[in-house]
Parts: sequence; structure tokens; C-alpha cells
Amino acid sequence: MNPVVAVVIGMLPEHILLGAIVLLIAIEIAAKRRWNALPLSLLALVFATAASLALYSGGFGTAPFPDQLMVDPTATLSKALILALAIPVLLISRDDFVEPQFHILLLSSLYGACVLLSSESFLTLFLGLELMSLPVYAMVLLAYRRPESAEAALKYLVLGGTATATLLMGASLLYGSSGSLSLANFREVLTSTDVMAQMAIALVIAAFFLKAAVVPFHAWAPDAYEAAAVPVTTYMAVVIKAGVLLAAVRLFGTAELSSFTVELLAWLPLASIVWGNLAAMRQESLRRMIAYSSIAHAGYLFYAFLGEGAGRFEAVAFYVLAYGVMNVLAFAALPRNDDDVARDRLQHLSGLAYRKPFAAVMIGIAMFSLAGIPPFPGFVAKFLIFKNVMAAGYTAYAVLGLVGSYIGIYFYLRVIQHLFMKEEQPAVVAVAASRYALGATVICLVAAVLIGVFPGWLLG
Amino acid sequence: MAEATLLNTVLFLPLVGIAAIVALPAGADRLVRAISLAVMLLQFVLVAWLYVRYDASASGLQFETRIPWIPSWGVYYQIGLDGYNILLVMLTAFLAPLVVASAFNAITKQQKLFYSMVFLIQFAMLGTFLAQDLFVFYLFWEAMLIPLFLIIGIWGGERRIYATLKFVLYTAFGSILMLAAVIYLVYSLYTTTGITSFAFADLYRAQLPLTVQTVLLAAFALSFAIKVPMVPLHTWLPDAHVEAPTAGSVILAGVLLKVGTYGFMKLGFPLFPDATRMLAPLFGTLAVISIIYGACLALVQTDIKKIIAYSSISHLGYVMLGLISLNLLGIQGALIQMVSHGVVAAGLFLMVGMIYERCHTRELAAYGGLARILPIYSMFFGILTLAAIGLPTTSGFTGEFLALLGAFVAAWPLHQQGNSYPLFVSVSAVLGVVLGALYMLVFAQRFLFGAVKAPHQPFTDLSGREKAILVAIVVAVFALGLYPDEPMRKTEMAARQFQQLVSEQRIAAPIAAVVSKEER
Repeated sequence: MNPVVAVVIGMLPEHILLGAIVLLIAIEIAAKRRWNALPLSLLALVFATAASLALYSGGFGTAPFPDQLMVDPTATLSKALILALAIPVLLISRDDFVEPQFHILLLSSLYGACVLLSSESFLTLFLGLELMSLPVYAMVLLAYRRPESAEAALKYLVLGGTATATLLMGASLLYGSSGSLSLANFREVLTSTDVMAQMAIALVIAAFFLKAAVVPFHAWAPDAYEAAAVPVTTYMAVVIKAGVLLAAVRLFGTAELSSFTVELLAWLPLASIVWGNLAAMRQESLRRMIAYSSIAHAGYLFYAFLGEGAGRFEAVAFYVLAYGVMNVLAFAALPRNDDDVARDRLQHLSGLAYRKPFAAVMIGIAMFSLAGIPPFPGFVAKFLIFKNVMAAGYTAYAVLGLVGSYIGIYFYLRVIQHLFMKEEQPAVVAVAASRYALGATVICLVAAVLIGVFPGWLLG
Repeated sequence: MAEATLLNTVLFLPLVGIAAIVALPAGADRLVRAISLAVMLLQFVLVAWLYVRYDASASGLQFETRIPWIPSWGVYYQIGLDGYNILLVMLTAFLAPLVVASAFNAITKQQKLFYSMVFLIQFAMLGTFLAQDLFVFYLFWEAMLIPLFLIIGIWGGERRIYATLKFVLYTAFGSILMLAAVIYLVYSLYTTTGITSFAFADLYRAQLPLTVQTVLLAAFALSFAIKVPMVPLHTWLPDAHVEAPTAGSVILAGVLLKVGTYGFMKLGFPLFPDATRMLAPLFGTLAVISIIYGACLALVQTDIKKIIAYSSISHLGYVMLGLISLNLLGIQGALIQMVSHGVVAAGLFLMVGMIYERCHTRELAAYGGLARILPIYSMFFGILTLAAIGLPTTSGFTGEFLALLGAFVAAWPLHQQGNSYPLFVSVSAVLGVVLGALYMLVFAQRFLFGAVKAPHQPFTDLSGREKAILVAIVVAVFALGLYPDEPMRKTEMAARQFQQLVSEQRIAAPIAAVVSKEER
């Protein structure tokens, strides 16, 4: 294919995002007063999603920059997924952020995610990962309403930097042992018994664990999630997590794993499932609870890598979709409140079913789904992962993981308890839901029903 | 296939009901109740029509629907009526209008949500019975948790949150292990035969080594035994019953517990026949322990709801005993006993609910001599007491008698061969009949006779609505007691099929399994 065409067409979603970013900056410089950047960024996001989907359904496959960036159906589908998940996140951000700064940061981060999901070597992988993460440090701080935000953003920044360093060390060890930085090379090395290569693998996996908040690299997540504004928390829990995991699929591909790698990918995620689910039981803030829940979900997601190669992408993609939709649904339905800290306190959600039945039912559906209780989408997603793990012959890991997921049921039910079973506590007056949040809620609900009723359409 | 469409209509009618009542404006509570009752009655009429149309002489599924749902996994949306589920579907549809009608005065808050949840659990229970695909079965099986969790948790008594969490955490634990077993079973079927299928009919052909069968049976059995519940996994039941609103108790005792025994019959035992035969003495023993222990506990309770809750444990022990006897009489007895207990226990819980609405206490000591102040109530209560004891002409007699008879018939040849343990177990079960009579009669005696005492007097006897509910129950009790022939004919083919499936040899040669795994 003509290289110019490959760059222009193949990277169309990236171009759309970049164009929007430039436009936003230009208007912001020119504008004399506050202006609403939402329509422009929303439009860019929708077009970028559509472009990715079009490239995917056209089966487009090309390398705009050979050995560095590769546009293939997996990449375009991953991008479409990430961008589509970002749409409702953008909608719920309307209530907290009207400044274009937020939109510029969000689109930049998504641009990074797109580069990440096309990467073919550790150079572009690193570039994409950093471009995706860096704006988020600022986004955590953007809603600077209380001192903890600064502390959390700093913690996130330092640990994110550690992840970067770890990834770079892993990549350089890999280069040292095999003389190549390509991801294909990494996949070949995965079965190697060479100590240096194994160190490299361990470091790269550790970097991904750090970014996805897997025990014992999870400590940043609860603080960052709690201190950020609700849309930013949603963005971190949904889009960033999906980006990291889909990038991991790109990294591991369909490669076979050595037993050393399998143990890394089984025990730490298992610890993550158990610890995330246990720690979530004690939380009083919904955001902090979701942080621990996302630590547990990162565990399930990395379990997917135990499965045989071909099923990994499907399992992770379906899981991040179902999990993402449910998380956004919960946060989109969360009633607004002028007091950001009080907004998601469980005690303030008590008796919500009596005041706002619709919001309560939506959060309830999200909780049941996150707990993996059928017939909600979370169940099919979890089923797919454990099915693959068992099919690969790791019966014991699958059973342990399932038992770990059982522990998680309790704290999701605890939220339902507060919503439905406690009597009304009108201490905090919630502001009526905006139509943007309502729109996001409806989008997620429709998506959830579609995923739940017609999973066959998405799978296979 | 008009009937197949009708069966799908029956299954999805509750969802239509939810849509109808959610669309109503707030405050239209009367209309919500009326619509709920009307939908449930319509559902019963449709099910009754299907029951009449069901051909008892044909084996296999009738009115079947089978459409691909998740093609890449081999999951089909497959439902149908057969001898296993026809009585239970009938029972579910029969009790639903009574549940709705019983809640008219008792449920005053969040009525829309309440009736939506009743519809939802109706949908889930019917789906569990009708599903012929393990994946679909599991979805419905788990989906039953959510509405009951909310029904107990929102409209329950003082300790409702404790009770409802205990209920969910108990049952969910069983389900998780069952899920692992389901995946393993389906995967084993794939490695040995190359078929990816969740259909019951395919899974019945899965050949597995005995140890694998035993482990998988244990996982399924844990889940089902928690639901039944069998001693020692029963401790959630009294709490759930006591804290649940009347409607919740009726659903729980009437239908939900049968899902456990149905699971054993449809899945647990026939999927793993070799392990089942090996473990039959264990299941028989647990069943008899449930019968006797449940009865003993019922004898010493002071809370009237708890008496009936523990009696449920005892009565479902007969079901398990009949099933595990693997004898045609016993199996049919178990099926009749499931329905009979569903009707009688539901009736008793309804009556407890009625008196609770009047007197606001469940302490047995607070009552006495109700026969004098509530004659009509007491008459119904007397009939249900006798049915619970299992007096001939009532439904309880047919089921218990056949289950016990089946156990004896199965145990006798073994006794002659020198293995007397099954006979000992079967004989011990008779003790349960005596204890059953004892606790119910003592209960009725203290409750209905003696000096008149009851808090919050004066109150009126049964209203027209309450009478209608109880008349329906009593008619069902006598219909099953006097004409057990009809339901037994409908279930005979299924009982034979169950017997045949469980007597199959399905131990896989371990070498074959290894070879096929390597080939893959």
C-alpha cells in the first residue's frame, strides 16, 4: 500500500483526535470568554470511534511506520472500544468540567491510547503508554477541591514514573538479551529460560501490573480514585484500565507462556482478586470501593492471559467492554452533589431508592453486574475468562479465582443494601441529574442490555 | 408450533408485567396490584392449558424451542416441557396469583418495586425449570438470587439484612463451585467427543472417570443441597423464612426449595450416574437426617414461622430419599411430594401471614383457642395441618408414602444380599412421619385450642380475598390427594428416563481421555 495512504487512512482516528486537540487549543487561545468545548470534543470522539469501526469492518491492515506502528483489525477494534467507552465518560464530565483544558487532556490521553494499541515495538509502546498516562496526572489534579487531590496526584505521578522506569529497564534488558525491541521478539522470548530474558519479562509484566493496579503494585489506586473528580475516576477505572489491558494483549499476542510467566500471571492477579475484594468491604466511599473493585477486576483480566492465545483478545475485549459499561453506568447514575466528598459516601446513598428510584436501580444493576451475578453482562465476561483458563488446563487457578470472586459479592451487595434497604436519610440534598449524565446513563443501559441479551453477536 | 409460542409467552409474561407496572404513574398502587394479579392469573390459565395439552404418553421434550444464542460457545436458548418440570411449572404458576393476592394488605411501601421483583423471580424460577441448556439454566438459577435478596431485604422483618445476606452468601457459594463444575464438564465433553454443547441431552452422554464424576457431583450437589436445603447446609433457611415477608416465604417454601431437588433430579444425579450410585448411601443418610433432624427442630420452636421452616427441611428430606432410592415408585413419590409440599407449606405460610397481619406476633405462646374466635381460619388451618402430617386423602400422604415405599423396595434386595444399611436408613425415615405428626399436632393444639388468647383483639375472621386464596390451596391439596393418578401419568416417562439415566455406566476409560487431549 502507498505509505502516504497508509499514514493518512490507517491513522485516521488519531488524526481526528489530533485535529480536535489543535482546534481546541486554537479556540481557547482566541476565545475572549468561557466557552463550551464539549460539542467539539464529543464530535471528534464520535468520528474517531466511527473511523476505527470503519477500518475494522473493512478489515484494514497496514503498517504506517513499519516495525513501529501497525494498524490491524485487532488494533482498530481495540481503539474503537476505548474511544466508545470514552464517549459516556465525556458526557458525565459535563457536570464537573466545562473548561477546554479537561477536554484537551482527555483527547491527548486517548491519542496516546490509540498509539499504544497500534504499537509494534517497545518504543511506540512506551510512547503510547506515557502519552496516555501523563494527562491523567493532571486530570486528577484538575478538580483541585481538597488537599488530598494534590497528594493523590503526586502519589500517582511517582508510582506511574516507577512503572515507566520498570518498563524501560525491562525493555533494555530485553534488548541486551536478544538485540531487538520489537514486540514480536518479546513474544518469542516468553518461552525462553534465559535469566536475563526472564528478568526482562518480569519487569515488563510488573510495569503493566503497576499501570493496571494489580497487587502488590496497587497502592496508588484507592487514593487517586478517591481524590479525583467523579468523571476522572471513571476515566481511570474504565478507559485507562482498558487501554493497559488491551495493550497487554497486544504485547502477549497469542504467544505461549513459560511456566515462570504463567505463575506470575496467576498468583499476583489471584492475590489482587482476593485482596481487592477483601479491602473493598470496608470502604465507605463509592470511589474508593470502586478502586478496590478495579484492583480485583484487573486480577480477572490478567487471568485471561492464562487462556490459550487465540481467546485472549476476545476475553479481554469483552470483559473491558462489559466492565467499563457497568462502571460508567454506576458513576453516571450517581446523583450530583455540591459537596464532592459527600457525593459518593455510602451513608449518603442510603435510601436512594426512595428518593431517586431510577438512579438507585441503575446503580443496583451496575453493582450486580460487577459482582458477576447473571443475567447481567459481567457474568458472561467472567464466564468467558474462566472458561478459557480452564480450557487451557489450569483448573486449580480457575477454581481459586472463582472462589476469590465469590468474596467480592458481599461488598457489591452492601451498596445495594444502602440503596434499597435502609430507610431514607435526607441529610444531603442531591442536585437533579443533568441531561448529559442522563444521556450517558441511557447509553450505558442500552449497551448493557445489548451485551446481556445478545452476547453471541459480539463473541466469535 | 403454537404451543411452543405459548410456552415462550408464559416464560416472558412476567417481563411484560414488569413493563406494564413500571409504566404506570406513581401512586397508582391499586392499579399496580390489579395488573399484577391479572397477569399472574393469565399466566396460570396459559400454563393450565399447556398442562392439559401435554401428551403423557410421549417421552422427551414437548413444546420445544431451540434457537442459537451464543453460537461460538454452542449455547442455545432451549426450553421445553417434560415430565421433570411440568408439575413444577404448574406449581409455580398456581402459587403466583396467591402470592400476589396475599401481599395486597401486607406490602405498603415501594409497591411497584415489590411486584416487579415478584415478576422477576417468577421469570427466573420458570426459566430454571424450563431451561434445557446448562448455560441458560445457570443464568436463571443465579438470577433467582437477586429478586429474593431484595424481597427479604426491603420488605422483611427486623433482622432482614442479616437474613438476606446470609441467604445470598450461602447460595452464591454453592453456585460458584457449580459454575466451576459446569465449565469443567462442558470442557470435558469437548475433549472426549469434540462437541461443544451445553444441552442437557448432550451432557448426559459425557463419559468421565469416577473421581472426576465424584468431584463434579460434589460441586453440583453442594449448590443444590444448599437450596433444598439438606442438613447440615440448612441454617440459612429459618432466618430467611422468619425475616421474609409472607410473599417471600411462600415463594421460598413453595417453589424455590424445589429448584434444589429439581436440580438433583435433572442434573446432579443423571449427569454423574456412577458417582451417584456410589454415593447413594451418603445422600440417603443425609436425606433421613434431614427428615428427622428437621422434625426434631420443628418440635422445639416457639416461633410459628420457624416451625414451618423446619418442617420444610423435614419434608424435602422425603423428596431426596425418594429420588436417591432410584426406584420408580420412589421417584414418582418424590415428584408428587415436591408439589404437595409446595402447596401445603405455601398454604401454611400464607395462614401464618394472615394471623400475623392481625396480631403482629409470631410467638406461639401468645396464641391459644383461635378456633373459638376465628372459626373459618381455624378450619382451613386444621385441613392444612392434616395435609402436612400426610393424612390419607391429602396430597401429603401420596408423596410421603410413595417415597418411603420406594426406599423400602430399593433397600429390601440389598438387605437380602446382606447389606442392611439402606434398609436401616429407610426404616429410620418412618420415625420422621411420627415426629411430623407430633410437631404439627402440638402446634395446632396450642394454636387452635385451649384458653382463648391472642394479642390485638378484636379482629375479624378471614376476608373474601383470604378465603379465596385458601380455597384454592385446599382444592389443590385434595386434588393431589384424591387423584394422584393424573400427575403421576404425566411424570411417569420422566421418572423412567431418570431411572435409566442414573443406572447407566458412564465411566470413561482414562486412557481415551488422555489421547484425545494430546490430539487436540
